[in-house]
Amino acid sequence: MKTKQTVAVIGATGNMGSAIAKSLSKGNYRLLLKSNKQDELDALVKEIKSRNGNADIEAAVCPVEAGWEADIIILAIPYEAEKEAAERIREVANQKIVVSIANPLNGTFDGLLTTPDTSAAEELQKLLPNSKVIKAFNTTFAADFSTPVIDGKQVDAFIAGNDEDALQIVSELVATAGFRPIIAGDLHVSRTLENMQLLLIRLGMKYNYNWLAGWKILHN
Amino acid sequence: MYESFFRNFNSKVALTAEEEALIKNYLSPKKIRKKQYLLQDGDICKNIAFIEKGALKSYSVDDNGNEHIIQFALEGWIIADLYSFLTGEPATYNIDAIEDSELVLINKAAHEELLVKFPKYETFTRLNITNAYLAMQRRLTSIISSPIEERYSNFIAIYPDIVQRVPQHMIASYMGLTPETLSRIRRRILSK
Repeated sequence: MKTKQTVAVIGATGNMGSAIAKSLSKGNYRLLLKSNKQDELDALVKEIKSRNGNADIEAAVCPVEAGWEADIIILAIPYEAEKEAAERIREVANQKIVVSIANPLNGTFDGLLTTPDTSAAEELQKLLPNSKVIKAFNTTFAADFSTPVIDGKQVDAFIAGNDEDALQIVSELVATAGFRPIIAGDLHVSRTLENMQLLLIRLGMKYNYNWLAGWKILHN
Repeated sequence: MYESFFRNFNSKVALTAEEEALIKNYLSPKKIRKKQYLLQDGDICKNIAFIEKGALKSYSVDDNGNEHIIQFALEGWIIADLYSFLTGEPATYNIDAIEDSELVLINKAAHEELLVKFPKYETFTRLNITNAYLAMQRRLTSIISSPIEERYSNFIAIYPDIVQRVPQHMIASYMGLTPETLSRIRRRILSK
């Protein structure tokens, strides 16, 4: 797409939010970053601009303003914070793409807070019935964004959602971030994707992957 | 966020509060800053944009890089590359903002569903397209058959608000004139 899309990253100073913001700043996007930590946010915007003079990036005043201006809204916030954020952006997110990156992990990282018949993404879709919720960036660790090629292989990044156009647009985002996008299926596939990250986190803790690990589908 | 949209809608077809609430689900509020693109040629036009506040223009760019303005749109107007929107073919127009603006976007899927579910939306769309057709016919006739001075006089009579808000070089481009020619014509009209 030639027309520059505006992407709002809510929760931009978190591990994932800042990793996403940094990697997308290299693409043909206008980025609006929002965080409650204003000092960290200003520092992040400054850092991205100093690394890439062409980056079209700005700190946003509030999530509503950022969402209003955005074509795509990335909620880079924990699962527990999604409900409140969704209520704030509901009106401005109408008919827009909202990316759910959250994994609904419990406090001990050995299970999910969601029941098996749903997922964080599906719960978000219920909160934002007029938005196009897409699951993405949930099977990639923050460190993977600066190293999307691990052991010589480009990390796969799975995407799930119900709107064909929105899936394509988010695939472009994922590719810009350096990953190989794989559209996994409808939004309910998010249940599997969120469980995949639970497994990867468990394995990382057990075998000391040091948070640099990812999924790769091998096929002929 | 949708005030002007529904005022305009109600002036054409009256809606109940319930219908307004249902139609709102299909609309997307979008802010755009001055000079930002809503659409670039080559992309598919996926939205009809209603201008809630601000001003936009659509234009084509020729092989020499010159811009030819097709349409201006102020509050209460609609702008899109309708050909691309309706056929799904790549757009030949660019659309960008002349001022910081607030829009109400209606995407293709939402538009199709609204047409089926709300006969009043179909009426609203018919009136919009009729008006756009009339404006285009007037513009075409004026371009091919009216003397330049008359074209400009008509333009400022019909669209005084555009003349107030849009820079002269854009109006010149819209009229198919160089800025110098337009300023000569303006002087001539003023001295009359």
